[in-house]
Amino acid sequence: MTPLSVLLVEDNPRNLKLARDVLEHAGFAVTAVTTGEEALTAARVGMPDVILMDLQLPGIDGHAALSRLRADPVTAGIPVIALSAFAMQADRERALVSGFDGYLMKPISVRDFPDQVRDHALGGGTRDGAP
Amino acid sequence: MTERDDERSTPGRAVEADDPVWLAARLAEAQKQLAATREILSLLATASTSEDDVFDAVVENARRICRAQVAQIHLADGEHFKVVSASGYTAHYAAFATRNPVPLNRGTLMGRIALDRRTHQIDDVLADPDYNLPEFQRLGGYRSLIGAPMVVDDEVVGVLMVWRTTVEPFNEHTADVLTTFAEQAALALRNVELSSALQARSAELARKVDEMEALAEVGQAVSSTLDPDEVLTTIVEHAVELSGADGGSLMEYDEESLLFRVRTTYGTSDAVRARLKTVRVHVDESFVGRAATSGTPVQVPDLSQVDLDPHLRLLSDAGWRSLVVIPLVRPDRIVGALVVRRLTPGAFSDEVCDLLTAFASQSAIALTNARLYQQLELQRRELATTSQHKSDFLASMSHELRTPLNAVIGFSEVLLERMFGELNDRQADYVQDILDAGRHLLALLNDVLDLSKVEAGRMELEVTTFPAVDAIHAVLALVRERAGQHGVELRFDPAEAPTHITADELRIKQVLLNVVGNAVKFTPEGGSVTLRAWTEGPEVLITVSDTGIGVAEADRSRIFDSFQQGTRSASSSEGTGLGLTLTRRIVELHGGRMWLDSELGVGSTFGLALPRQLQEHHPVESWSDPAAPDGRRSVVVIEDDPSSAELVGVHLTAAGLRPVTVRTGEEGLAAIRALRPTAVVLDIHLPGMDGWDVLSAIKADPQLASTPVVVVSVLPERGRGFALGAADYLVKPVSKEGLLGAVWRAVAERVDRSGARRDVVVIDDDPAALELVRATLEPRGWTVTTCTGGAEALSVIRSVNPSIVLVDLLMPDVDGFEVVDTLRADPRTAATPVVVLTAKSLTARDRQRLQGRIEFVASKGELDLSWLAARLTEVAAGGGDGRREVEP
Repeated sequence: MTPLSVLLVEDNPRNLKLARDVLEHAGFAVTAVTTGEEALTAARVGMPDVILMDLQLPGIDGHAALSRLRADPVTAGIPVIALSAFAMQADRERALVSGFDGYLMKPISVRDFPDQVRDHALGGGTRDGAP
Repeated sequence: MTERDDERSTPGRAVEADDPVWLAARLAEAQKQLAATREILSLLATASTSEDDVFDAVVENARRICRAQVAQIHLADGEHFKVVSASGYTAHYAAFATRNPVPLNRGTLMGRIALDRRTHQIDDVLADPDYNLPEFQRLGGYRSLIGAPMVVDDEVVGVLMVWRTTVEPFNEHTADVLTTFAEQAALALRNVELSSALQARSAELARKVDEMEALAEVGQAVSSTLDPDEVLTTIVEHAVELSGADGGSLMEYDEESLLFRVRTTYGTSDAVRARLKTVRVHVDESFVGRAATSGTPVQVPDLSQVDLDPHLRLLSDAGWRSLVVIPLVRPDRIVGALVVRRLTPGAFSDEVCDLLTAFASQSAIALTNARLYQQLELQRRELATTSQHKSDFLASMSHELRTPLNAVIGFSEVLLERMFGELNDRQADYVQDILDAGRHLLALLNDVLDLSKVEAGRMELEVTTFPAVDAIHAVLALVRERAGQHGVELRFDPAEAPTHITADELRIKQVLLNVVGNAVKFTPEGGSVTLRAWTEGPEVLITVSDTGIGVAEADRSRIFDSFQQGTRSASSSEGTGLGLTLTRRIVELHGGRMWLDSELGVGSTFGLALPRQLQEHHPVESWSDPAAPDGRRSVVVIEDDPSSAELVGVHLTAAGLRPVTVRTGEEGLAAIRALRPTAVVLDIHLPGMDGWDVLSAIKADPQLASTPVVVVSVLPERGRGFALGAADYLVKPVSKEGLLGAVWRAVAERVDRSGARRDVVVIDDDPAALELVRATLEPRGWTVTTCTGGAEALSVIRSVNPSIVLVDLLMPDVDGFEVVDTLRADPRTAATPVVVLTAKSLTARDRQRLQGRIEFVASKGELDLSWLAARLTEVAAGGGDGRREVEP
């Protein structure tokens, strides 16, 4: 069975390293980029099973990147999970309303994180995979 | 004396009566006389007739009927008679008579008539040695004269006189005719006098009515709106119109710069207004300033005749010719000036000045209110901005802290999960420390966010009904491990616990976890923590008792404040310092309360009470508890449309009331009987019994009849509503202000009828705040005594014994808390109701200090003045509910 592929979009190098290492340890194939623009290209080229997207990014932010992904027929069907340090209920609701398939709040729970990502990648994801 | 009185003609009449020819002539004469009298009477009956028209008709007819050459009317003017109307004068005589008044003495016939107040005649003036008007006689050539007095109000005001140029004395009949004509002339004079007096009087009345209306309108504008420009424009406009002036301006005085500034103008061109706004009007160096300082109206009848300061010069250049300055003063200071101007020179009458002075006192209040309003508005905006900044700051701080915490906590977990290899014990211990510290920081962050949400009023409860015992067990399970590590026993007896709790389950678990966690933390090894839950009256009570170190009495009241752990903090650095604050806020958000009993070295019991009312599915059954546990007054809302009911409920809740909503009229009546609510909000269109029937039933029941009912309906049938006894009638859609205004008015009216004494002592170190309260309460019939300090207030309160005391908390000498303490400690004032009006946001400790000692707290920042007035009225009437709650 081929490992699930994840496109990780995260501008903070430590958090990128944490998520990447945890996911790779759990058997995911991880591609990591640090900007929204890179994410668009990587998504078209790599066609990942799931995209983990930080909301606050340099250049185009997570919301803008999501709408471009959705606007492109090639990438429109890829599940995208928001991964954010915004902790307000309103932030989560706004993300889900704007079309993210899930919302994971930082700090992540290392133990649960791979399962949460896997659930979304397989399409049966709980929309509110809150820590 | 040769003059012949009327009586002397009597013998002559007997002879003449036998003569048929004379009789025929007499009849014709009588007919002519009748026609003449009719003519005069018809003139008199015409309202528009002037006295001159009547006099002309009288002299014309008198001359003809009396067969005289001349008839004339003279009116008294001091010691003389002046001719006002004549028939048969030559031009020469007319000119002479007009120039020469007739003296009032016995040398003239007019004098004799006036002095004796009766008809006189002179058969031949040349044979009358006393007659003393040779010049008149020579020019007029008259010989026989007769005249009759015109009497008005017992006074001879004039004389009707006819003359013949031959010696041909007038008979008695002619004398009668003349007397009649004189009476008619007098009547005309009287009519005209009455009519002009009447006109003057009605003009005066009309003016008074205008003034009253204008004052009332201004008064209404002053009290009904706080939009400063609207009020001030109304004032200037009315002042100008009522004083018959052409324009005016209202100037505001700034005590700091000592300058007057034009605030609003009327009847003034845009260009002039713009220049007026920039002209410098200093209190010591300007005409307006000197007038304002004098405290009385000062006028300039002609601007071209006086030295002009820059302000007056500007007006003069713009074509204004006269003006009056009315100072606007409050008891202790100048607030501005009203300037009323004319384009023509001339003095302003005392009446106008009096009227304008009356306006000025209204204007001074309006101006003061407007300033206060602006200050409040500014403060409110600043507060809102500050609050928004705080929220924004917290949100971004949370984000920025969470980002590194993610790495701290995450990598610690990676290591502890041994994902990439084993750790030795010491390494594992250190990494665990890093993880614990990271999680502590995260908990602190979450508490800060929660607390800010509660304080911003943005925490919403998701109320559900959940099994009480399960929830408590879940909480205990979370701390059991830690309790075991500390050697602390957890005790809970589910037997007495309620089956269900209706509340926000997650929040209540958060509260219990915090309290139980604290108890475990502060209980030494071998001790125990006991949780009890039970139902008591309208509340669910939960207590958590420990055998810990206890809380010193000094710390008990502030332990619920942020970052206060009392002496317990010495033993532990755990906890965020926000837990109890947040816990208490969450409980209060549910309408509940928290308390602490503690004894040092023995243990502590934290208690929380949640209202059961939240959890009743069938509110009808709970109505047997009229006292709401949270102290709010209930309003029964009878409304079958859920969204309308919810909206009304939201508005009432926001106003500190407790809405009890029912869907039918029958339920509504039951609720009203059980609850005796403060007011009822009633829809008309209801299933079953309709709103009209409900209203009639309420008003027909003597026990319920006084309950104010505000009808809210889509039907525009105000008349029917009021006829049936509704306190107010609102047509949907209803605004929040409309609804609350009607409810508070209804409540206040009911209280008003109780005739309670309404005098208040207001204590505040801010004079502006005092003025605002005065301006709010005085028009509503309150006697307001103001004090600027607590010490002064205490003696004032003892001497005037007011029905209510309104006190600010933060004052320089004796503060509001001390005032409350002193009043409560003195048996003479222990029962005097106290209301706190403050800009301070109350801490839990403040509330605890005031709890049970005051009626309610009004916050200056978000004060609705009519609400305040209504609630004070209610308190003064003892119409409050007797509870003394400090609302969150």
